[in-house]
Amino acid sequence: MDSLEVLVAQVQALSGSTDDLLHLHGLLKQLDDSLQQQQQHHQAIQQCLLQLDPAKHSLGFLYFLDAFGSADISMDQSESFISTSATFINASSVDQVRMAPEKFTNVCKRMRDETIRVQRPIRAISPLHIAIRKLQPSSEYLTPLHADLLQICLLAKCYKAALSVLDDDIFEIDQKKTGLTPKDFLLFCYYGGMAYVGLKRFEKALELFQHAVTAPAFVLNAIVVESYKKYVLVSLIQNGQVPNLPKYTPSVTQRNVKSCAPDYVEFASVYSTRNIGDLKRSILAHEEVFQKDNNLGLAKQVVSSLYKRNIQRLTQTFLTLSLQDIAETVQLESPKDAELHILQMIQKGEIHAIINQKDGMVSFLEDPEQYKTRDIAQQLHGQIQKIIGLAKKIRFADEQVSCDLAYLSKIGRDRPNYDPEEFEVVPQKGFTNL
Amino acid sequence: MESVSDSGPGATEQLDVDAYASLYTGRTRIVRLFFIADHTKSPSLELDALRMAFKEIKKGENTALFKEVVEKIGERLGPSFLLEQDWIDSVDRRAAQRLEKLEMELNGYKTNLIKESIRMGYNDLGEFHYARGDLQQAFKCYVRTRDYCTTSKHIIAMCLNVILVSIELGHFVHVSNYVSKAEQTPDVQDPAILAKLRCAAGLASLESKKYKLAARKFVETNFELGSSFSEVIAPQDVATYGGLCALASFDRSELKSKVIDNITFRNFLELMPEVRELIHDFYASRYASCLGCLQKLKPNLLLDIHLYDHVETLYEQIRHKALIQYTNPFISVDLNTMANAFTTTVAGLEKELAALIMENQIQARIDSHNKILYARHADQRNTTFQRVLQTGSEFQRDTRAMLLRANLTRQDFIVRATKKQTP
Amino acid sequence: MEMVSLSAIHDAQKAERFSDLANLCDNLDLELASKGGELPEDWPYVIHLLGHILVSDLNSARFLWKRIPASVKQNQPELLAAWKIGQCMWTHNYSGVHEALHNFEWSHDVRPVVGRIAEDYSGRIFRLLSTAYSTISVTDAASYLGLSINDTIIFTGKNGWGFDPSSQMLTVHPLVTTVEQKLDASNLQSLTEYVFHLEH
Repeated sequence: MDSLEVLVAQVQALSGSTDDLLHLHGLLKQLDDSLQQQQQHHQAIQQCLLQLDPAKHSLGFLYFLDAFGSADISMDQSESFISTSATFINASSVDQVRMAPEKFTNVCKRMRDETIRVQRPIRAISPLHIAIRKLQPSSEYLTPLHADLLQICLLAKCYKAALSVLDDDIFEIDQKKTGLTPKDFLLFCYYGGMAYVGLKRFEKALELFQHAVTAPAFVLNAIVVESYKKYVLVSLIQNGQVPNLPKYTPSVTQRNVKSCAPDYVEFASVYSTRNIGDLKRSILAHEEVFQKDNNLGLAKQVVSSLYKRNIQRLTQTFLTLSLQDIAETVQLESPKDAELHILQMIQKGEIHAIINQKDGMVSFLEDPEQYKTRDIAQQLHGQIQKIIGLAKKIRFADEQVSCDLAYLSKIGRDRPNYDPEEFEVVPQKGFTNL
Repeated sequence: MESVSDSGPGATEQLDVDAYASLYTGRTRIVRLFFIADHTKSPSLELDALRMAFKEIKKGENTALFKEVVEKIGERLGPSFLLEQDWIDSVDRRAAQRLEKLEMELNGYKTNLIKESIRMGYNDLGEFHYARGDLQQAFKCYVRTRDYCTTSKHIIAMCLNVILVSIELGHFVHVSNYVSKAEQTPDVQDPAILAKLRCAAGLASLESKKYKLAARKFVETNFELGSSFSEVIAPQDVATYGGLCALASFDRSELKSKVIDNITFRNFLELMPEVRELIHDFYASRYASCLGCLQKLKPNLLLDIHLYDHVETLYEQIRHKALIQYTNPFISVDLNTMANAFTTTVAGLEKELAALIMENQIQARIDSHNKILYARHADQRNTTFQRVLQTGSEFQRDTRAMLLRANLTRQDFIVRATKKQTP
Repeated sequence: MEMVSLSAIHDAQKAERFSDLANLCDNLDLELASKGGELPEDWPYVIHLLGHILVSDLNSARFLWKRIPASVKQNQPELLAAWKIGQCMWTHNYSGVHEALHNFEWSHDVRPVVGRIAEDYSGRIFRLLSTAYSTISVTDAASYLGLSINDTIIFTGKNGWGFDPSSQMLTVHPLVTTVEQKLDASNLQSLTEYVFHLEH
């Protein structure tokens, strides 16, 4: 008990300058174990917390809070833990918090767990969001909390809130600065993909699932398998087919992932026959598996996408076609059904057509887009700017690698194997080819 | 398919079994007759074929085939076409004796190490087994002669023998191999031999459904072939196989240069005027006549041992080519007129055309309301813009993924087994 | 403290900045959640839901509906009616949307929002019909637009559509849209930059 008082005093004293903070950090690390053992004395810790200011004494506060959270918390203490953490996250100083990223992450995760326990996950969204921004050196850094925030958003059904972190382009992975583990990365991709699916942004969902499946790995991971299952379904919805896994997929994944998801692989091959009847039967056959994996809704969306795709194919062959013929070819119930389908596709811009009810005919039109408008020009400009930005990044990465000690020593060793001409050309071409 | 000789003019003519069989010699005559008997729906044709087969088999030494033909006849042809056990026994006895003699002689030659004699010994054995119907043994013996061949002629003879047996066995891979071997042998000048090799190669290609290659081989066959390869193929067949495969797989210019203007092949076509007519009809865009002719030929073609498997596919390809060729020069085509030209219904034609469009064989679109086919030219500018935007976003996506992965690898961020899991 | 925040929403309502409503509600929702406790008794769920529907964000509307506790759903018939609108939009039940919009006595605050939704929706449907149909039966058009048959004939007539009484068919008059085509000189600058970049 006394040691706690002493510690509190030290925290209060040493939270001034950077030097003091470093000193304090050292002290705290030393005393961390004993602090953890004080778990049973929740009262004591809470008292200490009251004496500390979350803004000025963030580092110390963090350690105490972590100790509090490491133990079992009873239901009535849960409330106080959640609100204390939330206030802390809000008020804490960014610099101090970045000195102990793992602790910070721990506290946040604990708070998230508690909000799930009291069944109000929505409470964690705002604090986690703030926490991420404080932990990230820049918006391109991935933190362990990304996955947690996404999971919470999914649980709380606040998908839009997830967008703020999802729309950042993530490039930087730095374990030291953020305390990230490979599992966090995979979870981020998986939950992120699910969030995009909920928002019906299938292209971005596909990107994230693909990241998960192609992440470097020595062993097959359950998250990767689940990501692959969703990858298959979303590929079918977005592109009508499942492409082969890229060459850079780790070999252990490439060899094993399909055998872990046989129902999905079979479903995809039935889809490629473009026969709606067969596809529907396939869904029934695999219904249990899809249900268990929580993918039944997604699978049903795959079926609708096949209707859509089959109708779109008709535009390649016909200029006009009767609603009756459309209904028969695409296996819809009736011409009226076909009409409604097409109307909805027109509404969503998935098809260019005009319905002639009098003759029961549909005329398919060419894409009216002339690519002459200012909007298109602006769109092109925007894309080009983004690409130039990416090219700069690549060049920077290239330079970094060229200066990297390990790389240079390897090249030096292999130099006799390279033709001098080849040697000059290879690194350039690899990176700056637009 | 009907091969009945009823119905009025334009009906298919029943195959004249006598004339047909006289085109072939040896084992293939029997095999072909059996095939006809097995596959025809006309009882009279069946019995005709079996009767001829019976007579032919009795001239030879293949008792197994004899038993087979008697069984097939099943006493339907009366008392002169029944099982003659005596005949079987005496032939078998003779054969056993001959086999013993041949083998003894061969052993003798082997101890004396006279190459030429050994070669002839194996050759004789091969012929013996072939006559007895033991094709596997015949094959082995003929192949053995290879080690004892000293001149090009020997090699060619060996190759041709192996080719013959292989065709009878249906092992067309061997056929191709030995054709190449023969063609690579120096000093192969005899046009008849070259023609035989071409035909064999053509048959092999036909069997493996490489119709274009088959067509090329057949139309390159020179007319010296005559009846020299009657143990395998007749010149009429060269015309038929070559003509049909060419129609199904050549484009217009190739059809003209390799078939229509081909003087050598013209000789073959003289033997099959129907095939010649239908090729000319096709080239001159007289599709109704051409397709009608094809229908007439169909039943008899289905009775041909080499072609029957391919008739449907070839016909389908020819029909598709006709449809594509018909629509090619026009900006718009009235489907009613076209349906008449192809003797089909408008609905059926629409379905056929839709399938061809989806396979990208025809660049057009159908106005189903007015039943018109309109040629379609892609808007290049539009497609270019679309591709540009798409490439742009794909590049961004791939680059982002690459940068991310580079960082993952640099940080050694690899999913590893945890201590609890077994690797 | 809570009263102050809710007033931001009320202000937006009064100023008829209806398209801001959804975002305001969302943000406030998260803020209040982080501070702890349940949402207050007088949380305007109806406005929140309608705010999403107004900007055609049916995804968010659906998720919000799933989040709302069952007890609230039972006690607020207006909320159920508001959800009906969203539901019909989601299932493309065009005539259902009109019914849901008009067949309920909306409370005083809510009425202007619903009115704006109805206006926007009718406009959108009319534009859709103009682009998607060359001829359409008057009964179908009426149900899509949520008008009586006579009103439909009059309304479409004003927009240049023709009506053939014998076949009961309307002929659609296509909408004319103008698109800006001017490009300005800054493009030259951009092009120079691109070429420079490609060269290096």
